[in-house]
Amino acid sequence: MSQEALQVVAAAGFALLAVAAAWALRLGLTRELAWAALRAAVQLTVVGAIIALVFHVEVLAFAFVAAMLLTAALTSGGRLRVVPGARRRVAVAIGVPALAAVGFLLLIGAFDATPQAAVPAAGILIGGAMTAATITGRRLVEGLEDEAGEIEARLSLGDDAHTALQPVLRRAITTGLVPAIDQTRSVGLVTLPGTFVGLVLGGASPASAARVQLLILLALLAVELFSALIIGRLLLAAVVAPGERVEIPH
Amino acid sequence: MPARDDSEPAVTAGIEARRLCLARGGREVLRDVSLVVPAGLVTALLAPSGAGKSTLLRCLNRLVAPDSGQVLLQGQDILELEPRVLRRRVGLVAQVPVMLPGTVRDNVLYAIDEPRPDQAEQALRAANLDPAFAERPARELSGGERARVALARALAREPEVLLLDEPTAALDRDAATRIGETLRELADGGLAVCLATHDLELAAAVADRRAEPLRVVP
Repeated sequence: MSQEALQVVAAAGFALLAVAAAWALRLGLTRELAWAALRAAVQLTVVGAIIALVFHVEVLAFAFVAAMLLTAALTSGGRLRVVPGARRRVAVAIGVPALAAVGFLLLIGAFDATPQAAVPAAGILIGGAMTAATITGRRLVEGLEDEAGEIEARLSLGDDAHTALQPVLRRAITTGLVPAIDQTRSVGLVTLPGTFVGLVLGGASPASAARVQLLILLALLAVELFSALIIGRLLLAAVVAPGERVEIPH
Repeated sequence: MPARDDSEPAVTAGIEARRLCLARGGREVLRDVSLVVPAGLVTALLAPSGAGKSTLLRCLNRLVAPDSGQVLLQGQDILELEPRVLRRRVGLVAQVPVMLPGTVRDNVLYAIDEPRPDQAEQALRAANLDPAFAERPARELSGGERARVALARALAREPEVLLLDEPTAALDRDAATRIGETLRELADGGLAVCLATHDLELAAAVADRRAEPLRVVP
């Protein structure tokens, strides 16, 4: 049997093992596990085929990155939909820092300007920015509601709206960056990140895999910080009303 | 007794709301509401819960913008005033006063750029609190103490109007009576005091006049 076939059989074997264990132990997870495994197989097959096409027709790389950004904005925006224009705002907060970072990395020649390098890098940075924007945005919206009394107290005592909202914004950004900071801090100790594993499996030396991984990780840190800052500013702009008022979304 | 009828002239000392209307989320909250709070008097705003008392008070310091109507502070439309200046001139004490981080002094002097050396102590005295309270951590205070610190915090800005939203709701009768006495003294000193409450006993003991401008909007 070829190595390719063995990989598929082994993957199916792991899925069947998990499903069988869940069934035997009556965990009530049998259907959910089987469905998740099936979805992953179909999604990855389709994405693999599309990416193969993207690697052959370079102009499709732009469309693919645009589709990733759109999906990220829809996903994150859906979680913030109490705020008017959430998807538009989150698209800016994810797209601007992630694409700027990819552009910079290509410009200085850190990666080859090929779809093989640019598409995965854009994917990782857009994904990180989406996580930061979603968590920051959710925490901010919750904070506006939970801390409405404190915000009103500050306004009543003579703060302008932006000053009154600063503590809530700061707490939201801090929470939004926790995954990025933890991931960076624990890299190599708790998990081996995907880029590193992929490069090593693909035949790169551990040293060059570690170098690329470090570059991606540190770029992610900056991208996620800016994504959190931008979504914070854009969401606050949606709730600050004329006359130094704050209109809490419900 | 209604707060004012149409023949009553505009107050030049104090604050006045004229024909405020406000709807939120398709629900009418204020319908054609007028209110006068003259300087030197305690005006009790009596209405059941949910009648829009809190919203009306917040219209007076622009935390809430009515859909129509006008609010006049000392005869001047509040839309002509810078909101931050307006909110210092029209102090609001919320039903559940939120203490900001830090000491009582930090709270009382919050957002005051160049406080006088004794400004915090003076405000605490005016709210009938011992000035020694200034160094206590604000978030460790009891409900009654918080109510007084919130009062001192509003007074430190030397307001012309003081709005209180159910200030005694969480207090026992003694604490409520003491707050009432303090409000009485402040009004006697020339402040325009508006006390939104459903506590008829407190209103009877403290208020000079009763305003019942609020109808429960179904």
